[in-house]
Amino acid sequence: MKGKTNGTLRTMTALAAGLLAAGLLTACQPNSNDTPAQSSGGDTPREQDAQEQDAREPDASQAELERGATAEIRERGKVRIAVFADKPPFGYLDETGANAGFDIVIAKRVAKDLLGDENAVEWAHVEPANRVDYLESDKVDLVFANFTVTPERSERVDFALPYMKVALGVVSPEAAPINDVSDLEGEQLIVIKGTTAETYFTNEYPEIELLKFDEISEAFQALTDGRGAGLAQDNTFLFAWANENPGYAVGVGSLGNQDVIAPAVRKGNAELLEWLNEELRALGEERFIHQAYDEALAPIYGDVVNPEDLVVEGGEL
Amino acid sequence: MPNSGIDALLSVNNLTRLGQGLAVTLKLSIISIAISLALGLIYGIAMTTKNKLLYGLLKLYLEAFRVIPLLVWLFLLFFGGARAFGADTDGFTASVIVFSMWGTVEMGDIIRGAVQSIPACQRLSAEALGMTKARIYRHVIIPQAVRRFTPAAINLVTRMIKTSSLAVFVGVTEILRVGKQIIEFNMMKNPMASFWIYAFIFVVYFIICYPVSRLSKRLEAKWEY
Amino acid sequence: MGILARGDDSVEILKIKGLKKTYGGKTVINGVDLTISRGEVAVVLGPSGCGKTTLLKCVNGLESHQGGVILFNGQPLGEGGLKWTLARQKIGMVFQSYDLFPHMTVLSNVMLGPLRAQKRAKDEVYAQALELLDRVGLSDRRDDYPRQLSGGQKQRIAIVRALCMNPELMLFDEVTASLDPEMVREVLDVMMGLAKRGMTMLIVTHEMEFAKAAADRIIFMDEGVIAEESEAGDFFKSPRTERAKRFLNTFYFD
Repeated sequence: MKGKTNGTLRTMTALAAGLLAAGLLTACQPNSNDTPAQSSGGDTPREQDAQEQDAREPDASQAELERGATAEIRERGKVRIAVFADKPPFGYLDETGANAGFDIVIAKRVAKDLLGDENAVEWAHVEPANRVDYLESDKVDLVFANFTVTPERSERVDFALPYMKVALGVVSPEAAPINDVSDLEGEQLIVIKGTTAETYFTNEYPEIELLKFDEISEAFQALTDGRGAGLAQDNTFLFAWANENPGYAVGVGSLGNQDVIAPAVRKGNAELLEWLNEELRALGEERFIHQAYDEALAPIYGDVVNPEDLVVEGGEL
Repeated sequence: MPNSGIDALLSVNNLTRLGQGLAVTLKLSIISIAISLALGLIYGIAMTTKNKLLYGLLKLYLEAFRVIPLLVWLFLLFFGGARAFGADTDGFTASVIVFSMWGTVEMGDIIRGAVQSIPACQRLSAEALGMTKARIYRHVIIPQAVRRFTPAAINLVTRMIKTSSLAVFVGVTEILRVGKQIIEFNMMKNPMASFWIYAFIFVVYFIICYPVSRLSKRLEAKWEY
Repeated sequence: MGILARGDDSVEILKIKGLKKTYGGKTVINGVDLTISRGEVAVVLGPSGCGKTTLLKCVNGLESHQGGVILFNGQPLGEGGLKWTLARQKIGMVFQSYDLFPHMTVLSNVMLGPLRAQKRAKDEVYAQALELLDRVGLSDRRDDYPRQLSGGQKQRIAIVRALCMNPELMLFDEVTASLDPEMVREVLDVMMGLAKRGMTMLIVTHEMEFAKAAADRIIFMDEGVIAEESEAGDFFKSPRTERAKRFLNTFYFD
């Protein structure tokens, strides 16, 4: 029942997202008329930056309209932030239904520095597939939703400095450890459909036989049932899982290209982007991302993870 | 398995949240269904028109909802509307609008079918009593059409309740999404949570939809003639 | 007695002049002149397809006509004259297939027209409906639904439904044609009773014995025209036209 429900939903999202991407999005480009011009306050418009960043948007009026983005947020008194509600430990709802997680800790601090109150946030709960849409349609000001920076996404949103880095890992039973990709020869590797891990192994190691699952929980069930020699997934996630499940260890801790995770603003929102980058640099100086790690991730990752493998301060890799 | 995982379901907090999700699901469904019934009646009767142009337009509208997935309509209104016109609809409103527009055409088509299935002589014999067209509709055609359309309409109603879960994609936190949030929160410690939560949601949907279809059966039996 | 209420004392209640009806290029009624007097029972006979049912439906506007005029109590009907919805409240009609409203009880079927078209008071209509049902022997079935009734009972209710409007003229369109033989009589008896009470009736039927017994006048139609019109007795004894003779012969075995 569960696999089916989610599978259908996922297929439909993919379908709709595809259709939208193909036709509708390009049809309704962000044009000048959706944000009323804010003349009050704001810094000097950085029109040049905006134009460089957004080749599709040569119209300077876009940047002009965005010039008052932080002023507009301050006027509103609330910053609208897109987060995940079902991706622990990055963005989820705790037992009481309150937003929690690594992304949320950082987002709240950003809200505090912007508006003086860490609770002056209007949270929007997003799905992986619609994060870009939320920004493009101006439903939110910022995305803090474990947003991996990719070239495709960078064409449609503006990423700020990263606050986290991820790579792939392989978890395996301590009794039969996989400590290197070469150990996988002749074995089955468990992956979850549609993930970076699946793509990576399909492209880089086509000789390794993959056992694919729709759901994360199914995949881990398969691992504990011994149906595969190991399971490949984002290393952060694996560290957390291995910490909760004695007898398993992340034998391969860092594999493939390192991806970075960053907050994003609407394409061309140069003023807010600039403010956010300044903010992230300032946070880097006080090592705030480490604090966020200690608060949200350390309890889950325990001491098996070295925070330096994950945390990025001030956008410096 | 360290435990059966049912405690994820039985916690007061989680049950409260599932209840709130259920309330959203019901509110969304009931509003959409009510609007669909009211507008569907008008739409359905308009569909019986002999005016070719009007019929063509109505039919086009119907096909637009049959051909284009509902989720696309939802995204079109929620994201596209904001992009194109700066119409900042919240997710719940966008869902109500899209589900109602869809429900109206589906309900309307069912009503059209029901109205057209009433034998012409029923209309004639009412006309022979000197009744006006409006009164014939009110007292003769619609009451009979309602009986004929009920099974299909109830089917649509249960479909609409189930389809309301699409609203998660525009940020509405309905029961299915609450379930997923609880499951994911319990992922590490309690992998069996997903079984219990989904079982619970399954039972809830069943509890809502089963009486509706029972009601339909009873009405059918009662109205049999 | 409601059904005998008279608006005026003109003898001619219905006058049809030069009636023409075409249907998709085909002429169904080709110049019919007909006058019905108050209290008269006229039976229309003729082979199927001769236009007799269409003639009846033209009289209350269920079928539109393309030529000629229909005068009811001297007043033209339809466009420019008395509105059809009003005319139909004075011209009752009973159909071959009864066409009761299946979602309503017997009583509701009978009371619908008087309440919703004539907007009469409920108490008065109720009393009249019960009296009429009693007269056809069906007052104990008032709360039944049509599906619980036999064909003959349904047709008697259909007649009561028309009578409850206090019509000045009743149109009967082959009202026994769909009935099982043993039920034909109960319906014809009701019609006979109406004739005796002086109801003006225009009846299309194939019941020759009934026509003989009930009709004041026979109107024989063939191919869209009135081929012969005579006193009931004369028509059956000595039809004047060949067509009428041939028609009558089809009912007898020598």
